[in-house]
Amino acid sequence: MRLNLKDIFLLFIFFLLQVIWFNHVQILHVFTPIVFIYPLLRLPLQKNEIFNLMWAFVYGVTLDIVNNTGGVFAATAVMVTYLRKMYFLFLKNRSFDLENFKIERFTGLQRYVYYFSFIFFSQILIYLLDSWHFSLLWHKIGLILVNTILSLVFFILFDIIFYRTSKA
Amino acid sequence: MFKLLRILISNKNFLFFIFLEIVSFVLIIKSHDYAQTKTHDWQTAVAGFFDRQIYAINSHFYLKKYNDSLLKQNAQLIQALLQKKYNDKTPVLPGQFKVKPAYVLTNQYTFDHNTLIINKGRKDSIIPEMGVVTNNGVIGVIQKTSGHFSRVISVLNKSSKINVALKNTNYSGFLAWTGEDPNYFEVIDMPVNANLKRGDTLVTGGMSNYFPRGLLVGKIIDFKTVPGRKSYVIQMKTFADMTNLGPVYVLKNNYKAELDSLKLKQ
Repeated sequence: MRLNLKDIFLLFIFFLLQVIWFNHVQILHVFTPIVFIYPLLRLPLQKNEIFNLMWAFVYGVTLDIVNNTGGVFAATAVMVTYLRKMYFLFLKNRSFDLENFKIERFTGLQRYVYYFSFIFFSQILIYLLDSWHFSLLWHKIGLILVNTILSLVFFILFDIIFYRTSKA
Repeated sequence: MFKLLRILISNKNFLFFIFLEIVSFVLIIKSHDYAQTKTHDWQTAVAGFFDRQIYAINSHFYLKKYNDSLLKQNAQLIQALLQKKYNDKTPVLPGQFKVKPAYVLTNQYTFDHNTLIINKGRKDSIIPEMGVVTNNGVIGVIQKTSGHFSRVISVLNKSSKINVALKNTNYSGFLAWTGEDPNYFEVIDMPVNANLKRGDTLVTGGMSNYFPRGLLVGKIIDFKTVPGRKSYVIQMKTFADMTNLGPVYVLKNNYKAELDSLKLKQ
């Protein structure tokens, strides 16, 4: 299964959203929501993940070029895309039919936990890859947690906007 | 060999993932390496291009914010300028005038008694009898305030009389609108001893307590003496375009009540 036009459109839209708006939003002067992983988390699951990984890499590198961040976004996007499949395999058993699974089949809580885990993970990864030291991570955890919750609120809004009419 | 190939093929997703991560890490390491930054000219050029576009888009979104910030800065500069004028020309009155930025919401200029509405009111500490100016000159005096808005008696009002002076002299008269062109005024009661020339600048006289002395008002177009009176009637063109007003500044005279109480005692 290849990406359909809607997935590519979403990647493009979220690239613009992150770059033009969210990178410049500072809620309470501290929090900057991370929304660029939303379309990656909504990519259709595939047995052959090479296409998804490739799209994620291109998407991440484009964000890196605009943000002048080397490969931080590329590494994060690829990592999220790969671990996403592991996440599903961990939740379900090996006979789980990945190709036909849609995220809409998740209950609300399952979906929010899924989003929350990856937003939280990607923020830690971005912080580590960007700063290259662990020593201040514990001081940042609180901020990252609040930022994750803020980003999650946006993810819920995006679900309503982009997938309200979709059926499992 | 075949077995190895089979293992590689069966793990192609994982291997491709590792490959992409390695490429990403190489990019990260390169971007952290100062020596490598010179080779990234193309990347900087692309980032610069995007930054320019993003700035162009963002500047539209944030136009109001930038505008407000510039207005505040301007207000602070006007305040500093007023303070400097006082230091230079008259006895020092530290912090006599406080400047607050505002926007003109409606501007009348077609009637005999015109008023303006601005977007600041009692909640912004605006009270009646405060002067209103732009960068280019005097606009009027606050007449009435509500919570969020204020009505200003425009200088384009036949009942408005604002004290003006010939720049760098103490000769003064009163600004009066004739009710014709919104950018042309008469100055009455200017003493004939004043050595006038066409093109001379008129500034606020500072006797009304609404405006400090020395704010720009307009320039002399023509003048004539009044028969039987020892004064000039001056035709004057304002520096401010009274038909095109946007941002304005409200002047609060912190000593006005004190000065007014002395006038009442007279």
